[in-house]
Amino acid sequence: MAEQWSGFSYIVTNLARFIRPDEITFSGVNSTPPMLACLLAKRAYDWDFVYINVAGGVDPSPSSIPISSSDPLLAEGSASIFANEDFYDLCTRGRMDLTFLGAAQLDGAGCANNSCIGEWAHPKVRLPGGGGGAVMLPTARRACTWRTEHSKRTLVAKLDFVTSWGGMHGVVTPIAVFVKRDGKLALQSWHPESSLDEVRERTGFTFDASDAGPTAPPTSREREALESLDPHGQFERDAAVRLR
Amino acid sequence: MSSGFASKDKQVSLAELAALVPNGASLGLGGSFLHRGPFAFVRELIRQEKRDIEIIKQSPGYDIDILCRAGVASRARCGIVAMEGNFGLAPWYRRAVEKGHLKLEEHACASLTAGLRAAAFGVPFMPCGGLHGSDLVRINDWKCLDDPYGSGQKTYVIPAISPDFAVIHASSVDRDGNVRVAGTYHWDRIMSRAAKSVLVVAEELSDTRFADQPELTIVPYFMVQNYAIVKNGAWPGSCWPSYAIDYPAVDAYLQEGPEALARHIDAAPEAEVHRHG
Repeated sequence: MAEQWSGFSYIVTNLARFIRPDEITFSGVNSTPPMLACLLAKRAYDWDFVYINVAGGVDPSPSSIPISSSDPLLAEGSASIFANEDFYDLCTRGRMDLTFLGAAQLDGAGCANNSCIGEWAHPKVRLPGGGGGAVMLPTARRACTWRTEHSKRTLVAKLDFVTSWGGMHGVVTPIAVFVKRDGKLALQSWHPESSLDEVRERTGFTFDASDAGPTAPPTSREREALESLDPHGQFERDAAVRLR
Repeated sequence: MSSGFASKDKQVSLAELAALVPNGASLGLGGSFLHRGPFAFVRELIRQEKRDIEIIKQSPGYDIDILCRAGVASRARCGIVAMEGNFGLAPWYRRAVEKGHLKLEEHACASLTAGLRAAAFGVPFMPCGGLHGSDLVRINDWKCLDDPYGSGQKTYVIPAISPDFAVIHASSVDRDGNVRVAGTYHWDRIMSRAAKSVLVVAEELSDTRFADQPELTIVPYFMVQNYAIVKNGAWPGSCWPSYAIDYPAVDAYLQEGPEALARHIDAAPEAEVHRHG
């Protein structure tokens, strides 16, 4: 049997695989997996891209990897400060190639709820809020997200609240990778230790799975890059991602 | 009568700075999550038992949480609220909203910025890109305008947001009150332009001649009402490049109970000055 692929590594690696050469790519607050994905892509792939982040960094070279994905370390080595107003304006004028955004609930169109469980005015649970989402999701060229929990309460037929509309291009969970196809999320691949049946069983919305298969395992360079970013497994432990 | 703050004698104590804020005031806070927030100032609001304060900030966390916990904040306009850095949700903020103790106007970060820009630009509202399809538009009753120049595009417009005070934690000020920030200034710049007054807490009073590199000053002295010097005042958050987040201190803050809050506030760097001040 092949070496197991942890849910944490699965999420970070598959987020990195959404990054494309030369594209302007952004990672934000409360977003450790995409921060790691961007740093992984810089180390694991032969091509380069423009990495900007919420700390104002442009292609930074942080001397250590911060726990907070908005840490000023992410501007270390940057030759400019591209501050908060700058990256939002870049996005709304249509020049953000890829942004990573968080989501608490996602529907089958890839829209996101980050606001509340229950009714907005009288929430059962008040969630953090969408941050950039409502402005970035409809205006970025592509937006991708992740959920550390793959379940019918996180991947739903109907959102409790539409914080951000416009549809994610890609979604990664511990067991699946979805990509937008004809305006809906379609299954691209599943974790090699999971199955199409399991993904269907644990997803609240219906989806197309034609052409889907097991996700290609991490390359040695992807594996080495993630190990170099998290040599003591601290991020992996903190994320506490489980396949089931 | 000046339209600004022409005095060059602006230095006050932290207690005097916070005393400028009356109950019921709205405060635009600088920084983002645990980074370079005006946290010593926020704790001083708690010591002075302020009430009915409105918090305006795109990404508050520790600051709004502790103000909810102490019963200081009653209203908020923000885009995303969390402790961040692995601490997850802001628990006292969350409870305050769920119990109806904090009246929330939920924004996207950029819609809040648009409201601040309207105030800064002296116009009643400001277009904001995106927002189409979001329920935020419904709950806030934001209006969508047709392009009057005929492009066919529709754009949401956000009403002006002008905080009574912008409160900024700065890396340094010079004697006159010119403000410098190291690293990203987050939204501090637009916050300072939108507010009716700017209050500054700075790490240090600098002897450097700011005129040698004026482009490093993000707020000129005439916009600053007063400033106070508090070393390590952004604790338990970071202030680049001087110090990083104090993770154990945030952990200790998150313990339940009024004693934990009192211990936390007493452990703050500015409390030393208080005791001996």
